This record gives sequence, C-alpha cells and structure tokens, in this order.
Amino acid sequence: MHTPFFQTAITKHRRSFKAAATLAGKIALLIVTMNTATAGPREQADKMHNRLAGVPASATVLDAMQAHIEAGDSQQAAYLAMENPAFYNVTLKTWAAPWTNEAFDKFEPLNDYIATVIGMVRDDIDFRQVLSGDILYVGDDALNLPAYSNNNNEHYLAMEERVTDLSEYLVRTTQSTVTGLPVNATAGVMTTRAAAKAFFKDGTNRAMFRFTLINHLCTDLEGVADITRAPDRIRQDVSRSPGGDSRLFHNNCVSCHSGMDPLAQAFAYYNYNYDVNGDPDGERGALQYNGSGDADAATGLRVQEKYWINSNNFVHGYVTTDDGWDNYWREGPNFNLGWSSTLPGSGNGAKSMGEELANSQQFASCQVTKVFEEVCLRKAQDANDRAQLSDMASQFASNGYQIKTVFAHAADYCKGE
Amino acid sequence: MHTLTTLRLRFQLLCVTTLTCVITACGGGDAEVTSTPLPPPTEQPVVNYSGPAASTDDVANFKRALWDNMATAERCGACHVQGKQSPSFARNDDINLAYSDTGSLVDLSRPSESRLVTKVGGGHNCWLTSDSACADIMTTWITDWAGQSQSQNQATEIELQAPVAKVPGATRNFPESPALFEATVYPMLQTFCVSCHTNSATIPISPYFSSSDINEAYEAAKDRMNLDRPEDSRFVVRLRDEFHNCWSDCQQDGETLRAAIESLADDIPLTELADNLVNSNALSLFDGTLASGGGRFEQNTIAKWEFKTGSGNTAFDTSGVDPALDLTLSGEYNWVGGYGIQLQDGKAQGSTTNSRKLYELILGSGEFAIEAWVAPANVTQEGPARIVSYSGGRDRRNVTLGQTLYNYDVLLRQDNTDTNGEPALSTADADEVLQAALQHVVVNYDANNRRQLYVNGEFTGDMDTIEGGGLLDWDDSFAFVLGNEVSGDVPWAGTIRMVAIHNRTLASEEIGQNFDAGVGQQYYLLFGISDLIDTPESYVVFEVSQFDSYSYLFAEPFFISLDQNASISDVAVQGMRIGVNGRESFAGQVFATLDTTISADNYTLGSGQPLSRQGTIIPLEKGPALDEFFLTFEVLGDNTDVRVEALPPAPAPGADITAQAEVGVRHFAEINASMAQLTGVPMSTTAVNETFTQLKQQLPSTTNITSFLAANQMAITQLAIRYCDTLVESDSLRNAYFPDFDFTLPASTAYTAARRVNVVEPIMTTMLGSNIATQANTENVRVEVNALIDRLTTCNSGTMCNTQYTRTVAKASCAAVLGSATMLIQ
Repeated sequence: MHTPFFQTAITKHRRSFKAAATLAGKIALLIVTMNTATAGPREQADKMHNRLAGVPASATVLDAMQAHIEAGDSQQAAYLAMENPAFYNVTLKTWAAPWTNEAFDKFEPLNDYIATVIGMVRDDIDFRQVLSGDILYVGDDALNLPAYSNNNNEHYLAMEERVTDLSEYLVRTTQSTVTGLPVNATAGVMTTRAAAKAFFKDGTNRAMFRFTLINHLCTDLEGVADITRAPDRIRQDVSRSPGGDSRLFHNNCVSCHSGMDPLAQAFAYYNYNYDVNGDPDGERGALQYNGSGDADAATGLRVQEKYWINSNNFVHGYVTTDDGWDNYWREGPNFNLGWSSTLPGSGNGAKSMGEELANSQQFASCQVTKVFEEVCLRKAQDANDRAQLSDMASQFASNGYQIKTVFAHAADYCKGE
Repeated sequence: MHTLTTLRLRFQLLCVTTLTCVITACGGGDAEVTSTPLPPPTEQPVVNYSGPAASTDDVANFKRALWDNMATAERCGACHVQGKQSPSFARNDDINLAYSDTGSLVDLSRPSESRLVTKVGGGHNCWLTSDSACADIMTTWITDWAGQSQSQNQATEIELQAPVAKVPGATRNFPESPALFEATVYPMLQTFCVSCHTNSATIPISPYFSSSDINEAYEAAKDRMNLDRPEDSRFVVRLRDEFHNCWSDCQQDGETLRAAIESLADDIPLTELADNLVNSNALSLFDGTLASGGGRFEQNTIAKWEFKTGSGNTAFDTSGVDPALDLTLSGEYNWVGGYGIQLQDGKAQGSTTNSRKLYELILGSGEFAIEAWVAPANVTQEGPARIVSYSGGRDRRNVTLGQTLYNYDVLLRQDNTDTNGEPALSTADADEVLQAALQHVVVNYDANNRRQLYVNGEFTGDMDTIEGGGLLDWDDSFAFVLGNEVSGDVPWAGTIRMVAIHNRTLASEEIGQNFDAGVGQQYYLLFGISDLIDTPESYVVFEVSQFDSYSYLFAEPFFISLDQNASISDVAVQGMRIGVNGRESFAGQVFATLDTTISADNYTLGSGQPLSRQGTIIPLEKGPALDEFFLTFEVLGDNTDVRVEALPPAPAPGADITAQAEVGVRHFAEINASMAQLTGVPMSTTAVNETFTQLKQQLPSTTNITSFLAANQMAITQLAIRYCDTLVESDSLRNAYFPDFDFTLPASTAYTAARRVNVVEPIMTTMLGSNIATQANTENVRVEVNALIDRLTTCNSGTMCNTQYTRTVAKASCAAVLGSATMLIQ
C-alpha cells in the first residue's frame, strides 16, 4: 500500500512518524475515558453533527447548534448539521452506495442511483418516488462533466474524482428526458443505469426484485417466505424437483417464488445489454426496455428472453407473456407488511409495482430503520428504540416522506443525555 | 365394474392444448419407420425352425419381432408348443399356426394389455427375477410387431374410461409420529423380516421397513399398509397370496399382519371432507386411464433400463434385445418412486460379457445414441462424474456421458481421440445447461456429425471440434456402468429414471418425440362433476404421473363430457384445488387462481375444453396405490365455496437484543472528510485524493467500533501523515493554519517553549474543538504533543535539526492528533 511518498517520507522521518503513531494510540486511551462524560447541549451538538455529517462541526456551527438545542429545538440543530456538504458527499453517499450492487459494497463509486437518492433527500422529494418516479439527478452543466451516457458511468465518476460538492451541484431532471426511457417505464432508482447494471444484468430479473426488497423493505426473501400462496406464477425455469427431491420445492423454493415471481413479472420488458465477450463486466452496457411495438427475437413479444430461459426445467410452469404483476403477499402472513388499501395490488410494469412496494408500511418502516442505524451507529435494541422507530415511521409518513426529517429525529434521539 | 365409455381422442387435438404434446403418438408414432430401416439389431432365430415360411408379411413380422424372442426353450417354448401346453403360440412346427394361436393373446393397439404381457407380469413363468421386467420385455416385442405391421401414421386414439364414482374423504392418513406404527406393526416386521429388509442385513433388500431406525422403517412401510383396507395391504398380500417368506402358515401370517395393520388404523381418526366443499368424485392414480404406449421412438434401441422393479439389486434391460444387459446395483443407491434409481456413491454395472452387446451392435452401425432421463443431485460434482459409461477404468473408455459442474461431458474413443475418449465435448460453461433437475439428455455420435448433445429435446449448440472417426478401437472387454466408473472411484450423485442405447443416432424430431413422451407411467384421471353441473358424464381430466419419489405431476386439466350427445352450457370454474386423502393438499395448488368458463364455443367434441396449459406437483402421501385424489372448486356453475382468507395474527413485538456501544468509529469516507476539515486540505487535492483512493479499502468500512482492526489504524496513520504533509508543505495552507510559527528556523530553535505553542495550539483548537466534554482532555493531549516535540527535537548527530526537519516535526505533531481517536471516534 505504500506509495513512493510514504516510502520516502517514512524512510527519512521514520522516527518522527513512528512517534506520532504511538502518540495517536495514547490519545485514543484519553478519548475512551472522556466519552463516558455526561453530554450537555454542546456535546449533544457535537455528536449530532458527527453522526449526520460524518465530520466534526466547525466552531461556528457547533455554537449555533448548541444554541438551538439549549432553546429546545434539536430539529433545527440537526438541519444545520445537514447543511454541511459532507452530509451529502459522505453520509448519504455511503448510505446509498450499498444498495447499488449485489455485494452491498460501500466503496461503490458515485452513480446515477446514488446521486438520485442524494438529490431526493436534499430536495425533500417524497421518498416513495424512489421506486416509481420519473426522476434522475445529474451533475450541473457548469461542471463541464462528460455528458450523462446510457452506456457508461463517466458522468458520475468525474464528479467522484473531482470530489464535487453534491449538495450544490446535483440537478434534478427526469429519466425520460435524459435516458429516453418512456415515462411509464420509469420506476425511480430501479430504472437507473446503475441498478440495471447490478440487477438486470444476466439472470432472470428476480435480482432486481430481491435487492429492492432487501434495500427498501429491509427484508430478504427468507423474511417473506410463505408456502401457502398459489404457485401458479412460478416460471418454467424453476426446477420442481431440485436434485430429484420435490420436497425441496414444496417446502423451500415455493415459499419465495410463489410471491416473488408474480411481482418480478413487472420487470419483464427490461434487460441490461452489454458485450458479453468484449465487456464481460458490462461497464459499457445499457438498460434496454422493450417499448410498445418492440418484440424480443426469442419470445416474439415485449417479454425479454431471460423470462423464458430454461423453459424445459418444468414445461408446465408459468409462461410470461406480459409485464402484468400481482401481489400475492397481500394475503397470508405478509399481509402484515402493511400494503396500501388505496392501491389495487396488481398492475403492469415496474412503475406501479414500485408504488405498491413504496406505499407499504414496511417501506416507511425500513427507511426509518436504515436512518436510525446510520445515525445511531447501532440497531434498535429495546422497547424505547422500537417505539422511537414507530414514531419516526409515523412522522415520516405524515411529513410527506421527507427523509431529512427522519435523519433529524434520529439524530435528536441518539444525541445522548 | 367400471362403466366403460369410449371416447376417441385424437392426440393431435390434445396437442393444441399444450406446447408440448406429452401424449405424443401413444402407441403408433413410436414405431415410425425410418426411410432406410436397419435390420433387427440381433438375429434371434429359434434354433432348428424348419417349418413352412411365413404366409404373409404380418406373419413374418410376428416371427421376427415376437416369436423369435418368445418361443425359445428358456421362455415360452418350453411348454407352449405343439403337443404340450395349450395355447401353443410358441409352437415351432409351423409359424403360421403359431401366429394363429397368438392372435387372441395380443392387443396390438395396446400391447401392454396383451394377455401375454399380463400373464408373465402376473408371475407366470417369468424367465427373470422380476415379473415386471418380463412384462416390459414382452410388451416391447409386441410393440415392435405392432409397429412393423400397422400403418405408421395412423392417429393415436386414447380411450378414456370413466371410473367408478366414489365420494372422497373419510380416509385415514398416517400420523406424523411413528409411535402407533412402532406399537403395532413394527414389532412384527422387526421379528420376521429383519434378516433381509434392513440395510444392515447380510444381503440388504429394500425397502428397509425392518430398519432399526424407526423413522426409516415407518417411511418405508407406509406404502405397504392400506389404512382403509388393511386386507389389501401389500404386506398382507405378499404373505397371504404370494407366499413370500412366511414364518409359519402363509394364510395365518397374513392374517396376523392384517390384524396389526387394522389395529394401527383403528387408532387413526378418519379425515372427513368438510361439508362446505364443492368437490368432485374421487379416484386413485390407478383408477385412471392409462396413457399407454409411451410414444417413444425406439426403432434402434439395443438396450434400455426403465428401473420399474422398485426393489432388489438388479436393473433389467428391457429392450428385448438379447443378451439382456442387466445391471447389478451396488454401493449407496435407492429405488425411487415413479421408476428410477437414486445413486449417491453407488453404481449399476453390467457384466463384460453382456456389455459386449453394445460393442458388437454399435461397431456394426458405426454410430449410436445414448439417451437418459437424469436428475443430477447438484451442480458441484466433477471428474467428470460418470453418469453413463462404457469403460474399463478411470483412464480408459469407449464412451462416457459425465458431469462437470453445470456441464455435460462426452468422452468418446474414436480414431481422433485418445483411449480415454479425450478431448471431451463439453457444454459451454456460460450456458449452464446442466441443472439439478430432471433432464432428458441425448448423446448422438456418427462420424459425419461428430458428437452432439441434446438436452430436454434441444440441441445444445456445442460443436465438436474433433473430427469424427471410426470406432474400431473400442475395447470389447469394457463394462457398461451407470453412476460411476467401473472402478467405483468417480461416482455421480443423482437420479436416473431411464437409460436407452440406440445403435443409430436419433434425429432431432425423434429426440423431441422421446422428450415429449416423458418418463414413467402416465394416467388420465377423470374427476366426475356430473352431480354438480347439468352436463351428463362430465369430468375434469388431469394427466397424472408420479413425478419423483415425493410428488405427483398433475398437468393440463381439461373438461370433457363422455356423453357425445351432451349439450355444453356455460359453467364458471374458479379456484380449483387438488385434494388428497380427504383434504386439500397443502402444496401445489396452481389452479387455485383458475378463473375460466366452460362453454359450448370453447368445447370441442372429442377433446373437450382445455382449462389450463399448466401443471403442478402435489406431494405424495401414502403412495400411488393408496392416495385418493379429488378436486374442490370455489365456484363451479351454481355451486360456490368462496374462500376468504383470515387475517394473520399481528407480528410479535421485536425482542430486545444485547446493548450495543453508544459510540462508533468513523468509516473510510468520514475519516477522509474529517481529516480534510481538520487540516483545511481539500479532499480534491491530488495528493490526498490519490492516497485516499489507494488506502480506502484498508480504512474502516463500518462504524462498528468492535470491528476496528490494527490494519485500519495503520491506514488512518498513513492518511493522516499525508494530510499533514500536504498541509505543511503548502505555503498557503500552512500559513493559514500556523500563522504565527516561523518555519524558516531550524528545528533546534523553532521549537522553544515559547514558539512551539504556535504549532501545538492551532492543532489543539482545530482538532479537539473547544469545551466539548466528550472530547479528549485538551491539556492531557497538549502534554503528550509537547513530549513528542521534545523527543523529536533532541538534536544530535543522528537528528539533523535543520529547517526541513522543522516541518517534519510539525507534520508529526499534526499527524499524531489527526490520526488519533480524537478524530476517529464519533
């Protein structure tokens, strides 16, 4: 890991830096002692700033935040901390980055998915649109960045390399005008290029559903497993006798696929196209959507070929012919996810399916849980924490689903006493 | 007696209902003659036949296909000849008379129901140890005769037979616990059957219902006990009627066991059908109409294993081509329901003598096809793991079909490959053609087209780069084996449901035909609904087969009235579910969402009205002989039983977890941003940006303080040094940060007590903040930093206290605080 700089510097001043490193360790012991001190308004302000912006507050901001807290307005203090660009460039970026790849990697470079989440938080957009909106955030023209491209991530990489202030230079636009996706085919971050690269690439598009579930409903498929739903929509590619034992299908496979497959059908017209041989990682690939009038060569329909792969695994399985989706989980144990009674529970395409997910109580609950853990640096651990999460979810819903309010409430709750 | 109503179903019409015609060409199509028919693979003349020549082509076909095989002295020719046992269908004095005597004993339209077949299948002088194998072989011969004699393209007809109307329900189901079994039947099995029917026996004979493991014994015994009719239990029949290893008097032994089963059944309550259900009549699998004939193309089959026996250690070659290449099962294997064997670390191997049949017949044709229905247990085995092999050891073979992860491999010895059949032809990695699911696999080889693989009826597209060659180098001393190498050291795990060897390649349409024909026996189950709707003799019909050891396949339901004069009125059909043994199956209710209408417009006389192209698998409970099926409907015409699902209970409140730390560390991005803020060096500065990029993976990735590692601290220190170096080396940044410190002085004089405060205090103020009680005590840190400076500025011959060193000391002081917990902990 040593750069030429380090090799030179450490060689020349080995003694000095070794001594400095040793001292850093000593100071660590001091801090552990001091952190047990009781937190007054100033300490609370310091903690709130650290947790929200990820960086220490400047003296001026700290004084102002202290004053707000002393005046009983912790929310205002939190909003002040969130004015720090690091809230966007650091906190929100690393908050959203893991949602954009299957490995949940926080080190993922900036991309259109992350930028859109950051922009929506900054602009207090109804966060439910994250799964359905025709929305996209790009870099300001003033930055002279490489233009947004459907085929690469250069636009966002340039912002990453320049450490662009995302609180200032992200501009709201629409996917339909920038990427050319039909308006009714846009579905928030699910139809960004980064999401497509991560979850529409290869496979069967079930990944997009599963990772949306994990990232925005805070549950993997095991958490919604239910073997009592009708398995009629399970596609042909799912073996009914894995390894020759159909009990596995009855008791395991079906618990996820019976609910997932009819929902993931919403993605039937999407794919991520890339050069398998020349660009196996798909760095230069693009989201592809079969619009009205398009036909896939293999299916002869708008349905992508991947929905018909391995069809002989069980020829009597479901054959996808359109992007109609149904939410079988509105009944049975997953009724408790709190689906919206104002929505029909079925529809066509990713947009309405995204609305179905984002209007569930579980979606709101998930967002506040993620914020709580981001700000409090821990999971909810007792009844007080759970009550706080419940309150935050209610406030999130009643405040137009603005995420910043949730950050403020969480920071207030975890600021210490 | 069953009410027999005959309906002609043209299979082409049924094909309209589905993408795959599972009942393809039942009986007729399988015998389609190729344009250049081969002679029979082996000549099986009955020795010394010197009687009159066949008077007609059909007699000649009879002789070639059936009589030559059946009339030998070790088979029917021992008795059923002239002057001996009547009928003399195996007589050898006049083939024309034999033909006449055979006429009433065969049913060319349904060979499997021929008297000759049912007789040997019933145990009448079967020349093998398995009655069913004899029946299958006899069926093959008769089918061959039928195929040669009948018009090949005639439409196939299936006679749907109306079952006896039975009311479902009131059945007993085996309880989860084996306790009752353990108290009633098990003691007798343990006493009288344990010398064979347990895997610890000297010669273990499956099923292991005498196992010392009660659960294993219970599972194995379930299929052999009829709770509703104990007297029909297989255990009882085997003793009472078949005299199988009785321990005293067979009648008495059977009765004793019947009483034990009855005692077991008496303690199991009846499962009644709920009153509100709208249900069809009930029937079991074997009450259905047999979708006979198989529909397979087997013109050039020279060996075939269907694994119908279900017990013992022999898999019979039922191709009817002598010598029979019967395989001996050894190692870890199980018979599976619906025909098949499951291999873990076992094999099924033939003798080298009988395996030589393959050598002779394939060398003669110079081409072959290996066809198999297999279900790999996993996609992790390699070797290639041997599925089908004709070989002499792990490094020598004639031909092998194997598995490597997601790929099928074909190793073939020919002129242009080595003695191990390499280079192999493998399916492409990216295609992941091999799945851990039941698959139909065909290997074709001829010199022109080289090796070709077909999976589930489709060519895989993998081209053989090795030019085709002759097979003259094949070794006739090798043995044919399934599921392993002959040496037993390259096992394959999975299930084999059928294997056939053909000494001609199969054309793609023939492969498709055999794939469509499926594997195992299929039935049409007619669920009577006449009493629910106005249409007489009306049924919902499913095509049903045993899918594997644990499930049935119910596919492609259609509505039909067996009364051809019936008028079809509109009938709504919604929410159809499949019931088993008095209750709706807990799984596989694909048709619960069905919503359609039976109507005259959609009804076709003869083939009915398809209700769905889909199929489902339903868990097996008591076994195919005992499980009783019925259908229920939410809506069927005017009958309704609409289900409203109850709300689930509210989720339980979350449980408390162990208290977690209230503080954490900053993660990589926060560290970088914090250092930038605390030093005033922008993150975008090339030097720090490059260093951060290189170091970020080594910095903490999470804020969890318990995950903090020494390696994280090393990276933090390096980044801190880089930030402080950039700060001090930049005139503007340095002057802004340390406005009152004179960096032009040598270190020996720059760091006097009075001057050094101009380095220390800016660091203290910026990095520790002011008056933050939770931050490190400023005074304590100041003492430490001063001590550091003291130590660094002790000038001597080893330390050159020049002006450059002045900046070094400043950098060290900066880095000591910046890289410490004062920055890191939040």
